[in-house]
Amino acid sequence: MEMKFMGWRRQDGRVGVRNYIAVIPSVFCATKTAEMIANQIEGGVLLRHPVGCGQVGLDLEFTARTLIAMGRHPNVAAVVVVGLGCERFKPEELYEGIKETDKPVGMVVIQEDGGTMPTVAKGIRIGQEFARQEVMRPRVECEVSELMVATKCGGTDATSGLSANPAVGAMCDILIKEHGGSGILSELNELLSTEDILAERAINEEVAKKIYSAIYEVEDRLRRGCDERYPARNHLISPGNFSGGVSSIVEKTLGGVHKSGSALIVDVLEYAVPPQPGQKGMFLMNSDSHDGEVVTGMIGCGAQIVAFTSGRGSPTGFPLAPVIKITGNDFTYEKMKDNFDFNAGAIISEGASINAMGRKLFDMVIRVANGEQTQAEKIGADELFCVARRL
Amino acid sequence: MLIRSLIIEPNDTVAIVLENARKGDTIQTPRGEITLLDDIEFAHKVAIVDYAAGAPVYKYGHEIGYMENATPKGTWIHSHNMKCDRGTKAKF
Repeated sequence: MEMKFMGWRRQDGRVGVRNYIAVIPSVFCATKTAEMIANQIEGGVLLRHPVGCGQVGLDLEFTARTLIAMGRHPNVAAVVVVGLGCERFKPEELYEGIKETDKPVGMVVIQEDGGTMPTVAKGIRIGQEFARQEVMRPRVECEVSELMVATKCGGTDATSGLSANPAVGAMCDILIKEHGGSGILSELNELLSTEDILAERAINEEVAKKIYSAIYEVEDRLRRGCDERYPARNHLISPGNFSGGVSSIVEKTLGGVHKSGSALIVDVLEYAVPPQPGQKGMFLMNSDSHDGEVVTGMIGCGAQIVAFTSGRGSPTGFPLAPVIKITGNDFTYEKMKDNFDFNAGAIISEGASINAMGRKLFDMVIRVANGEQTQAEKIGADELFCVARRL
Repeated sequence: MLIRSLIIEPNDTVAIVLENARKGDTIQTPRGEITLLDDIEFAHKVAIVDYAAGAPVYKYGHEIGYMENATPKGTWIHSHNMKCDRGTKAKF
């Protein structure tokens, strides 16, 4: 029998695990106005970002695509777009991009609606009406096969590769192999040297080629980014990784690749572009760079929940999706309990089985899908929303 | 004092110490007891073979870098003595 959870089914058929009214500025200039609107809406959430101005080409395309993907995301019930009026990424394009999914969406534009205060008043009226329609909407039965979990590690230490990442990998295997769900692995700069391992898991030759070319492209970009004028700025891993016992990028990647488990890799997705309808399994997303940009891209691909491992500890969260924080380091867990949902440290300290830990983590993923709040949600952490740049 | 440690794959050339260890502590390996030549923190690596200069270092069954200089077993292995060229200009 198919396993179920209680969520929300959206107009485009995708299912959400949260039910937010998203307030999305189309350009950073509209942020304060958007924030004042979001604060007055029940279930309102602000998508704060610094982009939308002075951009061209792929860089502007990433911004447009990502902001539209946030509005279309199944954890969002309705959207208020807040524009300035002169920006290159027009609020109308954001509005239309979201509207295509038949989701309720409204728009206010500061230069047209009379400046900040009248725009705020109008935005609040639109948002409160959405809230009245949507916030009390009950959850309905959804299939676990419709869940997509994003995997990420941040603040890695040498325990991440021994306990937390393998536990996330075991959880992904249960979600994908037993329940037909999906997962995403990304941050390709932290997969250098695992290309053979990943290509072996590719569903076909074409996907294997995509994996090699995506990883080599990132490696090329890293080499170009190294600057001999600033030798101290060229490390590929952080001081925290070093003091946590990780000595090289390859050591980090071999520990990191475990978090995708062992399922076949069905495709390589572009940044914030969801898979084809019906396509399920483990995906690789083509992106490098920092925690926020990667998580934002994976949520843009449709992930409803994030499984985030950290050996050193990280307090971050995402505005419209629950982030489950997992450590495999008992010392870190004791020190930063408020920032963690799950401790896989018993794999090291008590020899607990990775599979049993993966099953416990899978149970937590289902509880979170059903509405259990994560620590990052309780804190209100939202800093992982960062639109990737391509300069 | 005997320290708990872990060798992940049989061809690895390092072990992980599973508790904070002091110089002179020992770990048990399939190839016998090794005495630590440095203080080594929880989850860091210790050499379980004698390395020649340039020799590869294996963890998770894969090469994670190479030793700059000849290094005896029992030594703390980290970024001060192990190098890795992936993603950097060093290869060119």
